[in-house]
Amino acid sequence: MKFLSGFITFTGKEFLELRRSGRLLIFTVIFVLLGVMNPATAKLTPWLMETMADSLEASGLTITEYTVTAMDSWVQFFKNMPSMGLLITVVMFGGFFTSEYAKGTLIPLLAKGLSRSAFASAKTFTMLLVWSAGYWLSYGITFAYTDYYWDHTVVKNYAFAAFGLWLFGVFLLCCIVFFSSLAGSSAQVLLGVGAVYIALTLAGMVGTVSHYLPSFLLQSGDLLTGQAQPTDYTAAVCITAAASFLLLMASDPFTAKRRV
Amino acid sequence: MGNVLEITGLKKHFGSKQVLSGVTLSVPESCVFGFVGRNGAGKTTTMKSVIGLLKPDGGEISVCGERVTYGSTKTNRFIGYLPDVPEFYGYMTAKEYLLLCGRVAGMDSKEIRQRSEELLELVGLSGEKHRIKGYSRGMKQRLGIAQALINRPKLLICDEPTSALDPVGRREILDILKNAVGQTSVFFSTHILTDVERICDRVAFLEGGRVALSGNIEEIRKQYADTAVEVQPEKPADAALLAEHFSAGEQSDGCFLLKNASTEDAENLMKFLLENHIAIVRFERKEPDLENMFMEVIGE
Repeated sequence: MKFLSGFITFTGKEFLELRRSGRLLIFTVIFVLLGVMNPATAKLTPWLMETMADSLEASGLTITEYTVTAMDSWVQFFKNMPSMGLLITVVMFGGFFTSEYAKGTLIPLLAKGLSRSAFASAKTFTMLLVWSAGYWLSYGITFAYTDYYWDHTVVKNYAFAAFGLWLFGVFLLCCIVFFSSLAGSSAQVLLGVGAVYIALTLAGMVGTVSHYLPSFLLQSGDLLTGQAQPTDYTAAVCITAAASFLLLMASDPFTAKRRV
Repeated sequence: MGNVLEITGLKKHFGSKQVLSGVTLSVPESCVFGFVGRNGAGKTTTMKSVIGLLKPDGGEISVCGERVTYGSTKTNRFIGYLPDVPEFYGYMTAKEYLLLCGRVAGMDSKEIRQRSEELLELVGLSGEKHRIKGYSRGMKQRLGIAQALINRPKLLICDEPTSALDPVGRREILDILKNAVGQTSVFFSTHILTDVERICDRVAFLEGGRVALSGNIEEIRKQYADTAVEVQPEKPADAALLAEHFSAGEQSDGCFLLKNASTEDAENLMKFLLENHIAIVRFERKEPDLENMFMEVIGE
């Protein structure tokens, strides 16, 4: 009961903060733009090609007729979302926990009886909710435009591929929660998350291991063409979900005992 | 009268530095308790241990009879805490912040509204509509007291509430603390001794990681009673006359000082002045001031 009321109160505070600091607005604008950008880029490709044709021809490239399909739009989505949407989200939430510790704003509330796990859960919940809402908003916009302009049947498994990318985002946010329970600054948190990403990329170079890593969820190319099936991703999905959960569990005792 | 706070043998070190080596003190109900010590003496460490934000190496703390455990916030329902440099969410107004605090403390909305109005009145922020980010240090300190008092704590802990303030701000904070005594006991740390003299009933001097002296201020004063009487006659030559007659006293700079003077001594002195028609500029009974006591306690 005490936990729940603390959780609800603190989540309310988080959203007020996101709204008043303007971050919610910026975040929404970015994800709407990201959603619009994918079909727009695809739509503009032939025109871009045409305008650049002369200069390309001068350098020895000849442009033949290029037909844009729904595939171009979704390829854009899976290219832009990790490199921009996910990156912005991670950077924005890098100091989400540590700024409270560093500024000392948490102390009066802890002294009022707010439980530390209610604080951490509310923060985690807020991050996941904002990421999910932004992400699926972007997805919805891309889907709607793509569906309107092109024949959607040429693209396979895009919903599952999108789920995989979302889950990878959840995993990175859980990394933020974990590193925040140990670190003193947002830089340290981001460094930790960056290290995880690099480690995953390096480990992914080993052929057999790569299929079991969270980073495998970023490889959507084969899924979209139908060369790979969702079942090929079962292990990666399960491991990513389990790892995310374990990161959250592992952060709890550290958050409980850390100095604030 | 029960004690709202009892600390026994509290120990804490940071690295190789032993900050607290057995602090023992108790704060009774309805009392303003001054916690005095130099910068770095361990006042904040003691206070943070009381609200469970620091893990002590040894010793016991109990608040209203319940033992404090590190990391847990159970006993904090009895406590209101004002940190040394309070930081609040700058994007909220004072009212919104108090609402957040009240909810965290588990109060219902109606009670919070009522109590917020009372407290904002008490700390002089009731007309304030702006967001906290524009507040001065003094205003933040006052809001800090309001948030600390929202859930009607039995014990209000303030960490150097006046140190960073100008004289006017200091006086205001001291008045607020004094007025809060009807509702709660106040345990506040400071290194400004005049603040203690102004509002405290009891005091503890922290030195070398221990409480070097503690108790009721009046009693301590008596204990250290070298209450002297000082007379400044109009004619400096009369000081010598006084010194001649009262051999226990001494004269300097045209003044006569009688140390450890009892009430009877003072009466005799007055009688002598009267009988010998000695006109005086000043006749003063000197109270031992805390500063001298403190210096004596810390051996400087």
